[in-house]
Parts: sequence; C-alpha cells; structure tokens
Amino acid sequence: MTPSPLAQIVTVAAYEIRKYIRGRRLLGMLILLGLIVGLFVGLPPALGIKYASTPDAFISTFATFSGLLVVLGGVLFAADALVSEHEKRTGYFLFPNPVRREVLVLGKIVASLIVCTAVLSLYYGAAAIAALIITGSLTWEVGLSYLYTLGYMTAVVGVAYLLSALLKGTVAATVLTFFLFTLIFSIIGGILPRANVEPWFIPTSASGIIANALGGPAVRPGPGGGDVGFIPDPATSLLVFAGYAIAGGVLAILWYGRRELAS
Amino acid sequence: MEAVVQQPITRDAPVRLEGLGKEYGHFTALKALDLTVAEGTSLGFLGPNGAGKSTTIKIMTNLIRPSRGRAALFGIDVRREPTRALARIGAVIETPEFYGYLSPLETLAYAGRLRGMSSKDLRSRSEAVLKEVKLTEWADHRIQEFSKGMKQRLAIAQSLLHEPDLLILDEPTSGLDPRGMAEVRDVIKSLKDQGRTIFMSSHLLGEVQEVCDDVALLNHGELLIRGSVRELSRGADTSTIQATFLHPATPQDLEALAGLPGVEEVKPSSDSTVDLRITGGQEGQARVLEGMIARGLKVITYRPLGSSLEQLYLDRIQESDRL
Ligand SMILES: Nc1ncnc2c1ncn2[C@@H]1O[C@H](COP(=O)(O)OP(=O)(O)OP(=O)(O)O)[C@@H](O)[C@H]1O
Ligand SMILES: [Mg+2]
Repeated sequence: MTPSPLAQIVTVAAYEIRKYIRGRRLLGMLILLGLIVGLFVGLPPALGIKYASTPDAFISTFATFSGLLVVLGGVLFAADALVSEHEKRTGYFLFPNPVRREVLVLGKIVASLIVCTAVLSLYYGAAAIAALIITGSLTWEVGLSYLYTLGYMTAVVGVAYLLSALLKGTVAATVLTFFLFTLIFSIIGGILPRANVEPWFIPTSASGIIANALGGPAVRPGPGGGDVGFIPDPATSLLVFAGYAIAGGVLAILWYGRRELAS
Repeated sequence: MEAVVQQPITRDAPVRLEGLGKEYGHFTALKALDLTVAEGTSLGFLGPNGAGKSTTIKIMTNLIRPSRGRAALFGIDVRREPTRALARIGAVIETPEFYGYLSPLETLAYAGRLRGMSSKDLRSRSEAVLKEVKLTEWADHRIQEFSKGMKQRLAIAQSLLHEPDLLILDEPTSGLDPRGMAEVRDVIKSLKDQGRTIFMSSHLLGEVQEVCDDVALLNHGELLIRGSVRELSRGADTSTIQATFLHPATPQDLEALAGLPGVEEVKPSSDSTVDLRITGGQEGQARVLEGMIARGLKVITYRPLGSSLEQLYLDRIQESDRL
C-alpha cells in the first residue's frame, strides 16, 4: 500500500539530502566555511594584530558573513530543487509514482532546511569554539545571533522555493535567488529609509538583527554612503522571516502542484 | 504483513479515456479521445510524430492536465485521486532521466519506498528487474556514467519493480540496440502472458504486431482506427509485393504485369526486381503470382514489402492527412 504522506516526505527528504551530499555542493560549502574560519582565526596572529577581547566582539566578525552564507545556502541547496525536475527531465521518473506533488515539495523543503541548518550550525559551532579558546568565555547573545540566522535562512529558502516553482530554468532560479538577496533587497532596504519608510519588511534589512544581537554596528549606512540607517527590531524581524518562509513555501507548493511536465 | 495486501479485483477497465482533449495554447494536440483497454489485453498506440501519443500518456500519468474529458485507471480518476490511480501502474515516459548521483539499486529503492514496498520485497524485486533488463553488472554504478540505452533499460526496470497491473509505456524500445529491443519485447510479452494489461505507444509496427492484441491509430489528435491486430492485418486489402526474377524483366513484361487483374501499380526497383501494389488481399497476391508464372517469368522471390498493418497504417494516415 502507498505509505502515508508523512512517510513519503521523509523518503523524499532523505534522497534529497543524499543529492546534496554527493553532488559536491556541500563539500564546496564546507571548504568555504573552513576558509572563512581559517582567515578569521589565522590572519590576526600572522599580521601581529590582537584578537577581539570579548566573545561578542569576536563572533560579530563572523556574524557579518552569516547573511551571505544563508544566501549561498539558499542558492546551492534550495533554488534549483523544483525546477531541475523539469529541466533535467527527472520528473518523468519521479512524478508517475503515487506521490502528491505537494508531498514532493515538502520533502524537498525539509531537506533544504536540514542541510542549511547543518551548514550554519557548523559555522557558528566553529566560531563559538574559537571564541571560547581565544577569549575564554561565551555569551547567550551568540546563541541568539545563531537563532536569528536560522530564522533568516527559512525566509531565504521559502523565497528560493517560490522562484524554483515559478521559473523555467535552474540557472534563472539560482541567479535570481542570489541577486535578490545580495542586491535587490539590499538596495530597496537602503533606499526606503530616505523616503521615510522603515524597511522592516525587507528580509535583508530585517537580517540586521543577526549582527546587532552581538552589539555590531547598530546603524549602518545606506547605499551611496547616506547616513540614514535602520535598526531592525528582533521580534518584528522574526515575524517577517516567518512570513517570507511560509508565504514562499505555500505559494511554491500551490504553483508547483499546477505546473505541467511537458517539454 | 505481506500476505493480505492483495488488491481487490475490480471490474473497472484498467484504462478508460472519455472525451480526452488537450490544448497547448491555441494548438490542439488531442481532440476528444475515447479509448478503453480491457483487463489483460495489450494495446499498441500508434501514430506519426506529433499525433498526440505522448500527450495522452502524460495525461494518464498525471504529468499534465487534460483540457477536457477525463482519464480513469481502474475506475479511478487520475486528476482527482492521482496517488490511488497511479498506485497500480508502472510507466515509462519519453525516455526519462534519472538522478546521476544514484545507482540503479538506489533509484529503485527510492521508487520502492515511495510506493511503500518492504525492504525484503524491494531487495528481491530490484534484483529480479535489473536481471530482466540486463543491468545487474551496473547495479551499483552511478547513473551519470550510463548511456541512453542503459537509462532506457533502467526505465523499464523501474516500471516493473512493483509488479504493476497496468504498464503504460511510451516507445519503450527507443534508444535500445537491436538485441536490447528484442529483450524488452520478450519482457513485455511475458508480462502479457502473466495477464497484465499493457498500453504501449510505438513507431515500430512489427513490434506492435508481435506484442499487442489490439491497436489504436492516432493522427492529429484524433482516433482513426481501433481494432484487433489480427483482424486489421487480415483486413488490409492492398499490399506491396516485391518480386525478383531470374532474368531482367523487359518493358513488355512490365506492361503485362500492370495488366494483371488486381495490380494497381508496377514500379521497377532494379533490372530484375519490381514492386507491385496489389489489391484483393492474399487471394489477389496469389493470382498475380500465377499470372507471372503463366507468362513465363522465372520468379525467384515473391514477398510482401512491409506488413499489411504497415500498409493499412500508411493508407489511413495519408487519407486523414488529405482531409
Ligand atoms: N509543451 C508543449 N507545448 C506546445 N506544444 C506541444 C507541447 N508538447 C507537445 N506539443 C505538441 O503537441 C503535439 C502532440 O505531441 P505529442 O508529444 O503528444 O506527440 P507524439 O504522438 O508523442 O509524437 P512522437 O511520435 O514524436 O513522440 C505535437 O504537435 C507537439 O508539437
Ligand atoms: Mg511521443
């Protein structure tokens, strides 16, 4: 008998995770992590500079890159998950099985969340261990920054899935996901304050809470060097993340369920 | 656990298409197809490129939505209850691709898990189907190194994994070498002998004649013929015969041949070989041969060019293209 949808979600997620592990993307991501951590830990002594003295200050240098890692995670482990079934024609194998399209999308989303969480946990884990060794202590704010990072990640994955369900090609989906979060949202989030609109609803602006949790630069300049800044509120930002994650995921499921496999 | 999961035997036809139609934008790929396949029979689904065969098969397997009408498998509407409708079928559609990072065994395990097969079943069935399509040696290799034909074999294997009651195959032997084709045909024939229902599109009329009980001929999204292979083959009135003579045929010979009753057209294809279009079925063919011998022509070979099914196919397609 056909298993329950929940059991099928677990199956799909397991095979998707296997894809990411074997497809070298995870390896690439881990190499990048190693590089970042290595530079942060190795460069100061090599140049004769002192490390930051408090754990918060030490980790805030790591945290400035969390957002970029989150976006890379969304690009590598989410953006092409749906569209590739059409583009690479693997859907002709997968879809005639007795499994609902919704179940397939959910299984894939679960896999993306697990892999992205694993990568970010490793990053924060490495940063925390380095902070503990170098400064001799840790604070709760580090954990908070980590949790905010995960929250931002769910928003990015949700939007990446929506683009993956909508767009015709894997390249379009991955490139658009990347530029949406590195450029487009940042630009909008930087310009809105000049028009006296608080960009609390722009995910990149909301992601400021990741660094701010560690007492990072509270007010950052907008694009073009303007001095208008915006300090996101953690609770609002988390709600915004959840909104993007849920809206993106739900719309992706709805749209993908209607999408035809004809080429 | 595995004892009582046998499906109840229903009397609903394995395939029932009712007024099925599909538009791609403004283009009508399928008009209003009515087609039923009875339990335990095999249907060859024929038609030229672009006739709408794959479109029909994609609707049946829930890859695309029909613009009108409905498709039911074992009485279950594919649109309304896709998982239940697809549970009893195995399908090969348009040379599918597989995940390059998986091996055939892992690919089969993925499909098997989605279908709820037990690990024990999965192991023995995977072994059996890979053996059947001669991929045993490759069972643990990553599919990214596979040739097109090997992927096609795997496609056949995954369609058989769960011993489906209905097989829906879109050009199952495409991309295979001649021996592979023969092997796949044997697999399909043995499934038929086991009483499974087969719905198979193909461009190879010989294959259809060998494997299928019935044929349906589609052109421009419309059903032209639906009948049993045996009757249609017998019923074909005209056929093309190629005759070879010991000595070259003279123009007078050719003229005389053209004058024989039942001969519609005489086309010399070399000095001593002619192609004749003959009406009157098999009796007509016999009469023409007698006529040749009576004229003193030394006939070495006398054989039909292409099957009578092929002739019927070509005639009907030509006829419908003219309209
Ligand atoms: N996604 C699509 N968009 C637009 N037109 C399409 C699409 N898919 C198929 N068609 C058109 O629909 C018609 C039927 O296509 P279909 O694939 O069903 O033919 P077929 O009988 O399987 O042909 P073949 O023997 O070449 O496989 C063709 O004219 C094709 O161009
Ligand atoms: Mg086709």
